[in-house]
Amino acid sequence: MNKILVWDLPVRLGHWLMVAGFALAWVTGESERWRLVHVFAGSTVMAVAAYRLLWGLIGSRHARFADFVRGPVQALGYLRQLLHRSPPHYTGHNPAAGWAILLLLALALASGASGWATYQELGGDWIEEAHELFAGLMLIIVGVHLLGVLLGSVAHRENLVWSMVTGRKQGRPEEALTRPGLLAALSMLAWTGLAVWWLAR
Amino acid sequence: MNVPLLPMLLLAGAATAWSATPRELAQSYTAEASRLIPGFQGSAQRGAEFYARRFAVSSHLPACSACHTDSPARIGRHAVTGKTIQPLSPSAVATRFSDPAKVEKWFRRNCTEVLGRECSAAEKADFIAFATEGT
Ligand code: HEC
Ligand code: HEM
Ligand code: HEM
Repeated sequence: MNKILVWDLPVRLGHWLMVAGFALAWVTGESERWRLVHVFAGSTVMAVAAYRLLWGLIGSRHARFADFVRGPVQALGYLRQLLHRSPPHYTGHNPAAGWAILLLLALALASGASGWATYQELGGDWIEEAHELFAGLMLIIVGVHLLGVLLGSVAHRENLVWSMVTGRKQGRPEEALTRPGLLAALSMLAWTGLAVWWLAR
Repeated sequence: MNVPLLPMLLLAGAATAWSATPRELAQSYTAEASRLIPGFQGSAQRGAEFYARRFAVSSHLPACSACHTDSPARIGRHAVTGKTIQPLSPSAVATRFSDPAKVEKWFRRNCTEVLGRECSAAEKADFIAFATEGT
């Protein structure tokens, strides 16, 4: 197997934007002094997640949900094989990762929406509680996600974190992306900027 | 009183969104404070001084009044985000000082920001005495 291009630019750029935004939102959540930074960081996470949903339908080959979202039986089966140290290699996301990804995207939208409603004073105190709850759940799933990345990297002797940077993973040449997705990355950045500006007003 | 009334109130508040009156809340802070300061009584005047005092720990948020204006009866403005803040006075907003968990949360958050530490029970009792003056 060779190293081929698997993750296009919007996937990689979006991923690291979400990581940075989530970390920043997490450390500033409790502080009024940093409230504006919190709102911008959280809105970035939310906007990128929303774009990623669309990209999961119309995006490049391995970014599509159809490429990596599988039923619970397959996800559990993959985890079992992972425990027995003989997981099959997937060029794109494995079935267990697929579930973590869907959960992370859903929680990013839920945290963002509830935070926005709190900020605009659209709900009662329960919205604020919901915001705290979603953010806490998301932190847990991020932890699970990191554990999965670590285990997967070890099992396949492949640095998955680096692959999320360069976009390149082991795979057959005919599975490679043919375009890096520069235009899509630009449109993602434009959308994110616009959405954040609107959300943080 | 030697029962830890405030923690109990808070627990009740957290469990059931239990509500109290500003007077009950002030009483529980007074009770807590009087265990350290025998004979402590909340004072609206001390509360007023505290409210306006420039702690200047944070250059953006030097005092409570930075966001809540000179008077708790007035509509405030968040010094960082510019969002409006409804008045703290229960005569203007009936739900103020009625939810122990919420009050504790904002005391913790705002005091840490403005004073660089949590407020004492005595400071909270004075603060409520001042903010509820005339109600
Ligand atoms: C950064 C601006 C800011 C500063 C400075 C600030 N507050 Fe507040 N405060 C808020 C906001 C925002 C709320 C919640 C708004 C709401 O519930 O409408 C709040 C709410 C409160 C509440 C909750 C009242 C209730 O029952 O709903 C109390 C108590 C309070 N503040 C006390 C203080 C004290 C004491 C200080 C000074 C040590 C202070 N605040 C300084 C922004 C601020
Ligand atoms: C994924 C993104 C987000 C995460 C992980 C996150 C996390 C948090 C956390 C941990 C808190 C502290 C809760 C508490 O202890 O009371 C908080 C508070 C808050 N967040 Fe977010 N947040 C996110 C997005 C947003 C967005 C998009 C907005 C607004 C547009 C927002 C607005 C707020 C506000 C206003 C508070 C203060 C709530 C209160 O206690 O009154 N957040 N957030
Ligand atoms: C902070 C919150 C995080 C969120 C919300 C998040 C979200 C996601 C999402 C949505 C994907 C799918 C990528 C796509 O197809 O678009 C993904 C994959 C991935 N993430 Fe994260 N992630 C987070 C943190 C991290 C961190 C800190 C690391 C590494 C240090 C990391 C490493 C990876 C890797 C390696 C993949 C690819 C997994 C695979 O090969 O299947 N993630 N993440």
